[in-house]
Amino acid sequence: MNACKKSGAPAPATLLTFTVPDGWPQPHYNFAGNPVTKEGFELGKKLFYDGILSKDGNFPCASCHQQFAAFATFDHPLSHGFDNQFTLRNAPGLFNMVWLPEMHWDGGINHIEVQPLAPITAPNEMAEDIANVVKKLQQHPEYPNHFKAAFGDATVTSERMLKALTQFVGMMVSANSKYDKVKRGELSFTTDEQKGYEIFQAKCATCHAEPLFTDNSYRNTGLPLDPVLKDYGRMRITGNSADSLKFKVPSLRNLYLTFPYGHDGRFYAVRDVLDHYSDGVQDGPTVDPLVKNKIPLSDADKFYLQYFLRTLTDSTFIGDKRFGPPQ
Amino acid sequence: MNAIRSCFTGLALVIVSLTSCQKEYSEPAKDHSFTLRFRPVVQDTDNILEFGKTYTNFFNEPFEVRTFRFYIHDIRLFNTQTGDYFESGREQHFLVDAADTMGSRINMKVPSGTYNRISFRIGVDSVRNFSGAQTGALDPALGMFWTWNSGYIMAKLEGTSPLTGQPGDVFEYHIGGFKAPDNVIQQVTLPFPSQQSVTLGKDGDTEVVIAADVYRWFNGVHDIRLDTNPVVMSPGPLAKKVAENYANMFSVLIFYFYL
Repeated sequence: MNACKKSGAPAPATLLTFTVPDGWPQPHYNFAGNPVTKEGFELGKKLFYDGILSKDGNFPCASCHQQFAAFATFDHPLSHGFDNQFTLRNAPGLFNMVWLPEMHWDGGINHIEVQPLAPITAPNEMAEDIANVVKKLQQHPEYPNHFKAAFGDATVTSERMLKALTQFVGMMVSANSKYDKVKRGELSFTTDEQKGYEIFQAKCATCHAEPLFTDNSYRNTGLPLDPVLKDYGRMRITGNSADSLKFKVPSLRNLYLTFPYGHDGRFYAVRDVLDHYSDGVQDGPTVDPLVKNKIPLSDADKFYLQYFLRTLTDSTFIGDKRFGPPQ
Repeated sequence: MNAIRSCFTGLALVIVSLTSCQKEYSEPAKDHSFTLRFRPVVQDTDNILEFGKTYTNFFNEPFEVRTFRFYIHDIRLFNTQTGDYFESGREQHFLVDAADTMGSRINMKVPSGTYNRISFRIGVDSVRNFSGAQTGALDPALGMFWTWNSGYIMAKLEGTSPLTGQPGDVFEYHIGGFKAPDNVIQQVTLPFPSQQSVTLGKDGDTEVVIAADVYRWFNGVHDIRLDTNPVVMSPGPLAKKVAENYANMFSVLIFYFYL
């Protein structure tokens, strides 16, 4: 190390390994054009926690994506953005992102690397301009050195910023819940959890497919349109009326950390969501056939389901110091 | 004997270089400096577009322009008779910006030959629309990327007109979309003026001026009126109509030969 420093050549970046959990499919994004290095990951972390990406300095990525809430916004139906504005939708948790073929509730983002551009430029989120972010980072006393460590020279580009953020967020894998430990044979479900798991497999697992607990499809689950938000979901992206009111099926991992629920956070409790499926589904032309006639769930079913869903909480993930604020 | 051998050697070298030229277009035989210069105009190819000046479109709607930019890629020069051929490829993209003289010039090295057509594609190759973070002409910081619905704005025309009914009287045409049936990428093939062929010799330097006429955005194939369609900001049938209009905005004006 000392020899490296003395020679004047920049120390080569240290490669980090991304591991696919046993039994999981290969991720959609595999870092092929963006090898993860310690330096790139640390730069991504610094950017993620730094308000410099926002217009007034108050809204880092981490303001809406909090680790203790599995990187959703804790206890907020909608998050807060620039100038006392609400976001349009409930901030999803950030984990297992590289398995997502598309991002956002409406699937408008087709590649993980370009996702940060959306919140950075949204006037009700970080409200910044991409060229201005690059300029601020280039003029910053520390960032050019971090870019040099990660990418070989001190030039700041939007591409490098986005790749560093992708290294940090892409490494966030949540695969150590009780459910995972049961699957690995390290623990067993209790009787109640096991009953809940069986109900889950019979009535929920088509859309919330294991092991990621989503099939990444877009569906209308019969939630009536919010008259203020007027959010038609996937139709905003495709322009196709057949996609009206369809939203991405969210993962159920870390469910109990990411309340409230639904694309606009209208449900505060898991029980509210279950009640919606058993009694609340409002039919309409694009409502999904699987929920159109509601899902028959008894009180006991709901009770056991909640026991099972609690096994999806990954306390290792929310305590993982690698993903916490830079020290 | 020696003379004959060296003659053969020389011939062999020529063959080798020609072969490699065909396989890899970036090889050194491409020795003619060729510059495309786009001239933004309104209606008449001598009427150079000025930002902030009032013009009228085909429907007699007054408008001013403040932004006029478009991507092109896959530039080809060819000759329908001789088969001489050059292509820049689908990877390299160029952003032409009427606000920036240098941004409206594209310089390439092309193999010497006799050409009578130029073609290019307007927009960003579909693959580059889902390839993640990119730099150079495709840097999203250039303001030609939709952040909420991933994909490039392939051409942009913005300005004002008292007829738009929008805040600040603006009209904004942000034209993009790379998926069928709303793919707006347009192929343009232009003959040279007066059906001429142009010989680009070795070591030369040639500039071709191509007019890009904003007047053609509003009509030609489809009627796009400022009072009824002042804003196009997402992929879809309307964006495609605008693209089918502006696909006809180009014409080759003149060649300049420098020694």
